[in-house]
Amino acid sequence: MPEKQTKKKDEVKILAFLCNWCSYAGADLAGVSRIQYPPNVVDIRVMCTGTISPYHVLKAFQLGIDGVLIAGCHIGDCHYMKGNYMTYKRFQVIRDVMKFIGIDEERLRLEWISAAEGEKFAGVVRSFTEQVAHAGPSPLRTGWDSSAESRERIREMFKQLESLEPVT
Amino acid sequence: MPIKEKARKLLDEGLDGVLGYRVVDGTHVPHLFSPEDIDRMSEDYPGDERYPVSLLLRRLQAENPGVRLGVVVRGCDERALIELAKQGQVDLDRIVMLGLACDEDLVCSCGCPQPYPSGIEQGEKVAAVPAEKLIEKLDSLRPDERLAYWRGQFGACIKCYGCRNVCPMCYCKECALEDEDLVERGVVPPGEPVFHLIRALDMAGRCIDCGLCEEACPMGIPLRTLYRKVGLCVEEKLGYRPGRSVEEECPLAILGTDTDIGGPGD
Repeated sequence: MPEKQTKKKDEVKILAFLCNWCSYAGADLAGVSRIQYPPNVVDIRVMCTGTISPYHVLKAFQLGIDGVLIAGCHIGDCHYMKGNYMTYKRFQVIRDVMKFIGIDEERLRLEWISAAEGEKFAGVVRSFTEQVAHAGPSPLRTGWDSSAESRERIREMFKQLESLEPVT
Repeated sequence: MPIKEKARKLLDEGLDGVLGYRVVDGTHVPHLFSPEDIDRMSEDYPGDERYPVSLLLRRLQAENPGVRLGVVVRGCDERALIELAKQGQVDLDRIVMLGLACDEDLVCSCGCPQPYPSGIEQGEKVAAVPAEKLIEKLDSLRPDERLAYWRGQFGACIKCYGCRNVCPMCYCKECALEDEDLVERGVVPPGEPVFHLIRALDMAGRCIDCGLCEEACPMGIPLRTLYRKVGLCVEEKLGYRPGRSVEEECPLAILGTDTDIGGPGD
């Protein structure tokens, strides 16, 4: 319905990758138990968080998503034994690289949520929504400003960087 | 032993060819030498004419199965060959490395962590100089300033794919940078920061810090800085540095054990 979509335009948008066996089931449990949580999350069901490519996370931010949540089975409980080990390792790199680029690490979260943890799922969504709302709309929502003023500003910044002494 | 002499000796002993350098119009270019033309091999190696020799070797091995080749390697070339061997792209048993240590000028201008291979035939070992300060400077900025810096840099990209084409570690038959779902066709500059972050994340645990990407970039984007930062993350968080040893496995390439992710042990 057009009116509701207009109101939601300025709200926080979160993409959640949920593993089929644990987190997605946990989310289902939250729903069935009528536990309330913010509606800003769009879920994507994957068979295992180990299948989530870093490309997907990057693309999500490129398209203007404000926050990405990855939820999988607890360590030791992965349906495919060690898929979540890969998730954990990859996540370290994704988070640090995005931080280096200047995208707030608050916009990314990795959680282990089991099929029985409906309340935990709702709690994570609540706290993550608040966290991302605090970080504000994603700076990547607007395309790079290639106006002459912006370029001049960036040129000045480059010059300043050249003269900065390294932090000891 | 000077490399030319060693190469000649190896060819006499039955090696199929030696990948080295010869001078063409005053510039050093790579050339695959056979016993017939080994005399044209250059005896000196001016530093800043650098090529992804491991990339050439990988293709030669792929197109000529069973061939045994010698190859002139710098520190970076050796690191690349070690990593490529671990990823099943080259066969180290069919390679004889002729080590060349980088001279002082090149060491200062390049700044890689180990400017000499493990076995040196020619050249004096020069200690590595501390790498660039740009990472420190960038880390000291606020996140929004950092983002503006990188968006400005990426905004200069003309999508020439030079960085990917020259990289010794890039060998995917279907490149993610050419995937229409990830990178929109016909758009320049390419969607930032996805285009460059795809490369940066692919370099995690694989980039051997040769610097050819930044040299190849016609727009002067500080790619090496970005990939170095990724390498630092992998080293600090996962305890792995590419090119260090053939036995060491990259944690991002294997499932691993509980201890790798901070647990008590499988």
